[in-house]
Amino acid sequence: MRRGDVVLRALAALPIGYAVASLWAMALARILPGGPSEATITATLIAFVIAAAAAMWSFAASSGVRAVAVLLLLGGIAAAISWAAAGPLVAA
Amino acid sequence: MSQGFRQSQAMLHTWSGLLLGWVLFLVFVAGTIAFGREALNRWMRPELPRVEQPLAVLDGAQRFLQAKAPDAKIWFITMANERSPGATVFWQPQPKDGEPRGRGGRGRRDTQALIDANGDASTARDTRGGDFFYRFHFDLHYMPVIWARWLVGVATLMMLVAILSGIVTHKKIFRDFFTLRRGKGQRSWLDGHNATAVLALPFHLMITYTGLVTLMALLMPWAVIANYSDEAAFSKTVFPQVEAVERAGQPATLVRLSTVVRDAERRLGGPAGYVEVAEAGDSAQRISVTRAAASMLNTRPPRVTYDGTTGALLWQSPPPGGAAVTAGAMIGLHAGRFADPVARWIYFLCGVAGSVMVASGLVLWTVKRREKLPDPARPYLGFRLVERLNIAFVAGFPLGSAAMLWANRLLPTDMAERAAWEVHGLFIVWGAATIAGFVQTPKRAWTWQLALTGGLLALLPIFNIVATARGLPATVMASDLALASVDLVLLLLGIGYLAVARRVARHRPMASRMRADRAQTAAEPRRMALEPAE
Repeated sequence: MRRGDVVLRALAALPIGYAVASLWAMALARILPGGPSEATITATLIAFVIAAAAAMWSFAASSGVRAVAVLLLLGGIAAAISWAAAGPLVAA
Repeated sequence: MSQGFRQSQAMLHTWSGLLLGWVLFLVFVAGTIAFGREALNRWMRPELPRVEQPLAVLDGAQRFLQAKAPDAKIWFITMANERSPGATVFWQPQPKDGEPRGRGGRGRRDTQALIDANGDASTARDTRGGDFFYRFHFDLHYMPVIWARWLVGVATLMMLVAILSGIVTHKKIFRDFFTLRRGKGQRSWLDGHNATAVLALPFHLMITYTGLVTLMALLMPWAVIANYSDEAAFSKTVFPQVEAVERAGQPATLVRLSTVVRDAERRLGGPAGYVEVAEAGDSAQRISVTRAAASMLNTRPPRVTYDGTTGALLWQSPPPGGAAVTAGAMIGLHAGRFADPVARWIYFLCGVAGSVMVASGLVLWTVKRREKLPDPARPYLGFRLVERLNIAFVAGFPLGSAAMLWANRLLPTDMAERAAWEVHGLFIVWGAATIAGFVQTPKRAWTWQLALTGGLLALLPIFNIVATARGLPATVMASDLALASVDLVLLLLGIGYLAVARRVARHRPMASRMRADRAQTAAEPRRMALEPAE
């Protein structure tokens, strides 16, 4: 694999993957049922699985560019869901 | 599963395993030792008698605290049980004017004490005991704990990725489990790595994922941030407490704690783990009793609070929600405090398998690439670095740990900062081993470090028989199985290390083996020596 491609995949896997997992944690915390504290905990538990899956996807994707693009898209969707549920991402 | 997917995960597996693999090795080894930390806590204080009556120890703790810290803001008492050296107490003095809270608690040495089985302040040797390994496996040492937990947290996430990608990459995962080809260089290392990985695969998956959960407040705070503008509001829901009290300024006698704890244990449905007394000696005093984490799976046990003057019940913690119980149970699975001796042995053996898995993976990386080196006498920098780091960590850290146990035995009992110096001993020896690992030839460094580790470990039980009252014959006769198990494990590990060291000393690299065989074949043309193709 070309070096640039591997670098992109590594970026996708760790920093971007972590960011995507964090954004989904925020989205899920706002939309899961059960009350704020319960949804918060559940979302946090799920987020680690998302982070691992993102890392695996980063290497399975057909190219590094595609890996980054798909993850950024998924992160954007999470941010949109978060915002739609309760406004600013950081609770005011 | 498509070939492309499997191959992509193979590369991911190698890198996510290798980059922080040395940190993971430390975490696995220290974590595995930590499953026996209670036994080690007692083993490292051989002077102490066994606890028989936890409530009598509590009475002693109350006497001690009333004499030593009669108007502290809070007393914390960790209840003694048969497996612990005694009750640990620490206290927080009243805050001076201008300070938000008193300076005291677990970190400081002058506001804590150990109350032994007889209810007296212990004069046993100062040591961190097995708790050092427990703390080390997420706080590391010589660095701010937040840095350590981030490093360990990232390494754990990479470990999870390594396990999952390892499962994907492994083609014939069940059939290969029964394959162990010995003496075949790279293939043997691969088989060993696979066997230890697959043998305890459910454990490895569980311990890694739940390890992330134990650090979730640090690693994944975003859900809390999305829902709560004030993090304290979330903490209050998940860790409910009775409201804090203001000191009233009127002296009042504290009821006997053991009476209150007996009632609390009835209400909590299990033995007490912690007792907290706020504003002792004042009319506003309160006693909070938390159930022992070892008595249930959820590591966030229920709690009751009493009035300290009358002993009347004031508050009981509300039942937690399903997600909170799930998270608490996951942390409980990781820590294994609920485990009885049989389950604890299983945890320990799985941890050993995990440590061997990580170590064999690190070594496998060099074995695989050594054969492809263009010039075996002068490998490239990355290879040399991995090879030397492997020695430094896989051989050096266990050697340092063995040295620390010897420091526990040999350092003078009245030495200042004795507990800290036991730990310095570990790092001094580890440091020396690391330097040797970079300076000597790998084979020599591996051999002497493994051999010395084996010798040090195996000799400890012998020392115990000769120089302490807690040698194997004594502990077995007294049915003190916890202490006997520590000595037995040390002996077995020591013999194991010596055996491995001998194997390494006798090892001849594949290439030179093949050269020697070819030379023999040339000298005796009629005898056909068959070397299996790799």
